[in-house]
Amino acid sequence: MGIGQDDKLMTDASASIAQGDLQDQKVRGYHSPLGVTRTQSATLRGVRLQSGFTFDEIEVAYQTLGTLSAKRDNAILVCHALSGTAHVAGLHPRTGRPGWWDFHVGPGKAIDTDKFFVICSNVLGGCDGTTGPMSPRPGGGKPYGMDFPEITVGDMVSVQAKLMEHLGIPRLFAAIGGSMGGMQALAWAVQFPERVRVCVPIATCSSHNAMQIAFNEIGRHAIITDPNWNDGNYTPDHGPKHGLAVARMVGHVTYLSEYAMTRKFGRTLQPPVSADAAGAGPFSVGSYLHHQGESFVSRFDPNSYICLTKALDQFDLFGGRPPEEVLRNVIARFLVVSFASDWLYPPAQSRELVRQLKRARVAATYINLETLYGHDSFLIENPEFAQVVRHYLEHEHRQAGLKEAGAGP
Amino acid sequence: MHPGIYESVIDWIPAGSRVLDLGTGDGAFLERLVQAKQAVAEGVEKDPEQVARCIQRGLVVHQGNIAEGLDQYGDQTFDYALLLGTFQELISPEEIVREAFRVAPRVIIACSNFAHYSVRLQMLFRGRAPVTKSLPQPWYRTTNLHFLSILDFREFCRQMGVCEIRQACFSSRGKVALLPNLFAAEVVALLESGRRQV
Repeated sequence: MGIGQDDKLMTDASASIAQGDLQDQKVRGYHSPLGVTRTQSATLRGVRLQSGFTFDEIEVAYQTLGTLSAKRDNAILVCHALSGTAHVAGLHPRTGRPGWWDFHVGPGKAIDTDKFFVICSNVLGGCDGTTGPMSPRPGGGKPYGMDFPEITVGDMVSVQAKLMEHLGIPRLFAAIGGSMGGMQALAWAVQFPERVRVCVPIATCSSHNAMQIAFNEIGRHAIITDPNWNDGNYTPDHGPKHGLAVARMVGHVTYLSEYAMTRKFGRTLQPPVSADAAGAGPFSVGSYLHHQGESFVSRFDPNSYICLTKALDQFDLFGGRPPEEVLRNVIARFLVVSFASDWLYPPAQSRELVRQLKRARVAATYINLETLYGHDSFLIENPEFAQVVRHYLEHEHRQAGLKEAGAGP
Repeated sequence: MHPGIYESVIDWIPAGSRVLDLGTGDGAFLERLVQAKQAVAEGVEKDPEQVARCIQRGLVVHQGNIAEGLDQYGDQTFDYALLLGTFQELISPEEIVREAFRVAPRVIIACSNFAHYSVRLQMLFRGRAPVTKSLPQPWYRTTNLHFLSILDFREFCRQMGVCEIRQACFSSRGKVALLPNLFAAEVVALLESGRRQV
């Protein structure tokens, strides 16, 4: 990718609303009220997976923002989506880029760091500091690669629960997340019912449908048919980069909407500058996708992509059991948010989730926002979305009788 | 809508009731009901902007179109279901009232009386579709689909097999006791399923 590519992206005034994760963008003059934020690491011992596999110890990368109250009851766990990281908000100390949810996490924002103690950790199986396929095997051996054990969304949540114990947080005020993060929030409410007061699943579902699995299968297939795949035993410099880039390109399209793409690109022309994109078409949308693919490859591990998308496809909150039974012990109150233009996680899936919650007599508020930008609507600057989340948390916060944070221990 | 209607509803609902408000709008009334009667309440509203206002008020609210049914709620989940001010705008009132009675044994319905004397006079002497205080919009802008009278409403309840436990009628001057079908502009009624739930 060349300089010109980035310039094009930066000079487009709509860049911040028509595209996905902030971390894949350069937004000129972006200001984060949090300033530079750092990620920490914790070593957790004895992590047993649902499959029975046990890690003697794992590393978990996490970020905390705000202040934990004296009563330790204002903690909000933000769960990231497939391509997210622990760097949720503020500016990255090395790259200077904003965290993936900087639009919505910070002082006075949807998730108000003046009120809440926000924690975000990189998921198990990820590749940004938490143990995953890229990590060396115990004893400093070569990376796990394809031998990394199969993990579930439930396992990601178990690791987060252990992290909360490590941080001395007995109970979350809220578990919040979009997409894969929404699945984690749901798993929290079911797996640790007495430890979550509020659950906010956004643009998510209780299990993937055939179409969602299909897109992930295309992504995985692109990776394993890359000449550099080598059964998952590649070195970081010679991995299946093309395959991962294609997976990301397909994925990225599913996160957008026709409206967003038409508005941003239409049929404008701009061939890709990258030599890797030889034979590519002349359209801007194509060069944008090539850019997205290449940018993703530089920060994501192909094995991790396979590991996490498999966990997503396997996720099934109810697993054929009656919802009343699965949700029997749930204490949390829910705010379920979907977006009318989201065709990857369509509102019908959220409505079905809400139906199951309500039928099990779980208090659930549901809103289907008319944001036009597809699945990515929760990642972009979105005042309607921000207000809904902020108001809901504020009210629940008042109800819970929490004292303002700041009088920390 | 006449404020007396809201007073009546608050008056009729016992403290601590479970209430489902269908077509809850911005939630202003439901919030009042929650505060006055410590009701465990929930609203259904189709407009996301209104739903957002309900969330701001701290209400449990569901964005949905009541015309598509109330499938998200189990049978007899609530003590009361409310249909205030939207009744004459519903495409299939029968289906919605049936659904309301599925989720609650008692349903409170408010609607306009299209047999109010001013409506009758306008029709008779002007020969035009009426525009009155309680029907302020001209025919091409009104959201009303059905033009029923209080007598029609009673007949509807009889047909549905539900009985009217309480009723209050209002004109712009207040409560109407005499000849409501002629002098009342709006009616609110507390209905109970004929097949009594014990």
